[in-house]
Amino acid sequence: MEYRDRWRQEKEGPIPAKAGIGLRFPHHAAVLDTLPDIAWLEVHTENYMGGGQPIAYLEMIRAHYPISLHGVGLSLGSAEGLDVAHLERIGEVARRIEPALVSEHLSWSVVDGLYIADLLPLPMTEEALDIVCRHVDQTQAYLRRRILVENPSSYLRWRHSTIPEWKFLAAVASRTGCGILCDVNNIYVSAANHGWDSSAYLAGLLPAAIGEIHLAGHSVRELGGGRVLRIDDHGSRVIPAVWGLYAAALARFGAVPTLIEWDTDIPELRVLIGEASRAETLLGEVRQGFRDADAA
Amino acid sequence: MPTLLELQRAVYRGLVAAEEGFCAAHVVADRIVGEARLNVYRNTLIGNLTTALRLVYPAIHRLVGGPFFESAARLFIEAEPPQSAWLEEYGAGFPEFLAGFAPAASLPYLPGVTRLERAVNMALHAVDAAPLDLSRLAAVNAADQGHIVFVPHPSVGLLAADYPVDAIWRAVLSQDDAAMTAIDLAAGPVWLMVERNASGVEVLRLPEPEWRFMSELCASRSLQEAIDAAPEIDAASVLAGHLAAGRFIRFGLRSELIQVVN
Repeated sequence: MEYRDRWRQEKEGPIPAKAGIGLRFPHHAAVLDTLPDIAWLEVHTENYMGGGQPIAYLEMIRAHYPISLHGVGLSLGSAEGLDVAHLERIGEVARRIEPALVSEHLSWSVVDGLYIADLLPLPMTEEALDIVCRHVDQTQAYLRRRILVENPSSYLRWRHSTIPEWKFLAAVASRTGCGILCDVNNIYVSAANHGWDSSAYLAGLLPAAIGEIHLAGHSVRELGGGRVLRIDDHGSRVIPAVWGLYAAALARFGAVPTLIEWDTDIPELRVLIGEASRAETLLGEVRQGFRDADAA
Repeated sequence: MPTLLELQRAVYRGLVAAEEGFCAAHVVADRIVGEARLNVYRNTLIGNLTTALRLVYPAIHRLVGGPFFESAARLFIEAEPPQSAWLEEYGAGFPEFLAGFAPAASLPYLPGVTRLERAVNMALHAVDAAPLDLSRLAAVNAADQGHIVFVPHPSVGLLAADYPVDAIWRAVLSQDDAAMTAIDLAAGPVWLMVERNASGVEVLRLPEPEWRFMSELCASRSLQEAIDAAPEIDAASVLAGHLAAGRFIRFGLRSELIQVVN
């Protein structure tokens, strides 16, 4: 019953439980000119701060599509507190765009007022959990809305971590009421890099908390001696194993809004739409499954 | 066990200040050592910030070439890391950095082009603001007009350079070799105004007295002070041109300055 209720709720929600694509500058004009049949779009919030052409374009696009604002710079895990000026810039973009979803990452990027331009992994400790929860509370109170927090891909773990990442993420959701943006590619990448069990990761997340799924391509870096690190570079198609993990995620979570991300070597819009329609096929099967269950 | 703050400071020193080994001790090392894992982040952040600088300074990138730009960026990132995640703001100190960067000394116009690109980028991303209400301006008593202090549109920037940096900038970005060859570096200084209007960002060359007048107005001097600083121009008509172009968004009288600033 829980799953079916979820499906009904999402069907009426601001972002449909369908496939969307990450919108990047090279596709602004093509999207406005052709208005492709895509259920929704997601952008990086930081790219639309300030005034001028970027936000003006996004406002025009917003007239045709629900928009999700996905931030990369708030640094929810900074020990010293959030950069309030950055939170205000996010608030200003949200005021103009009226997004259907707002999301950020389970990571940190800022220390001593300096921005380290990447999503850095947190130690999975009670101290870090308290800090992240405080900052999610602060963000939700400021924006006056629920946000989603995404599991990052990671290339290292800290020795003093004591909590599995999925339990940490689930605890942030249960303590703050935020949702989870489940990046299936990131689970695959991190699990490969750290020897985790990706099924255990999915099983550790409550379906009711999942507000969105991300899919993307990644690369494999050879380090010699048969050692590899998988790198989340968003520069290629989703690999078959990640499609498989996505199907497992849908089986557990039900139909969830799903985004195709592509950030390096950005291809033509039709390639992104092709990847999205592949996700849409899987989403359709899940929706059909719930309809059948409803009818039975 | 480090506190979160201690760990984050160690990571900063290990990744940005490039002090190897500093935070690797805290990393789980199995088949892949900590430094190799940290290197993924180091490469990403240097790549991200170099790209951010290249987007702000595309003409400089072309003028000096990719490898030179990347090595200069690497040193600049270490010296002046970004202070916020809004990377459009990043790189304010890059013109001064290049001015003092010995390998760039053979291109004397480089700092000027860098400052122009900085102003263009500021104009591109400045917050939106509506031009001031001219009917309110018309209501100011004649006796008070000299006390008017204007607030410029956030996209307006003024800069002077010893070389024709606007011509260099245009020629480089349009990859116009003929225009580049035709540039006379000895042609004397230029006085530039950068602004964003409906059609995009524009770089305009002003006569020096008009530039001086506008600089005074943009520096919160009163209208009378600006007129006194540039007595040789027809201030009324120059000001009318700026107002018509929407280059000011608010005004106040000197006695109300605090309200203007707010």
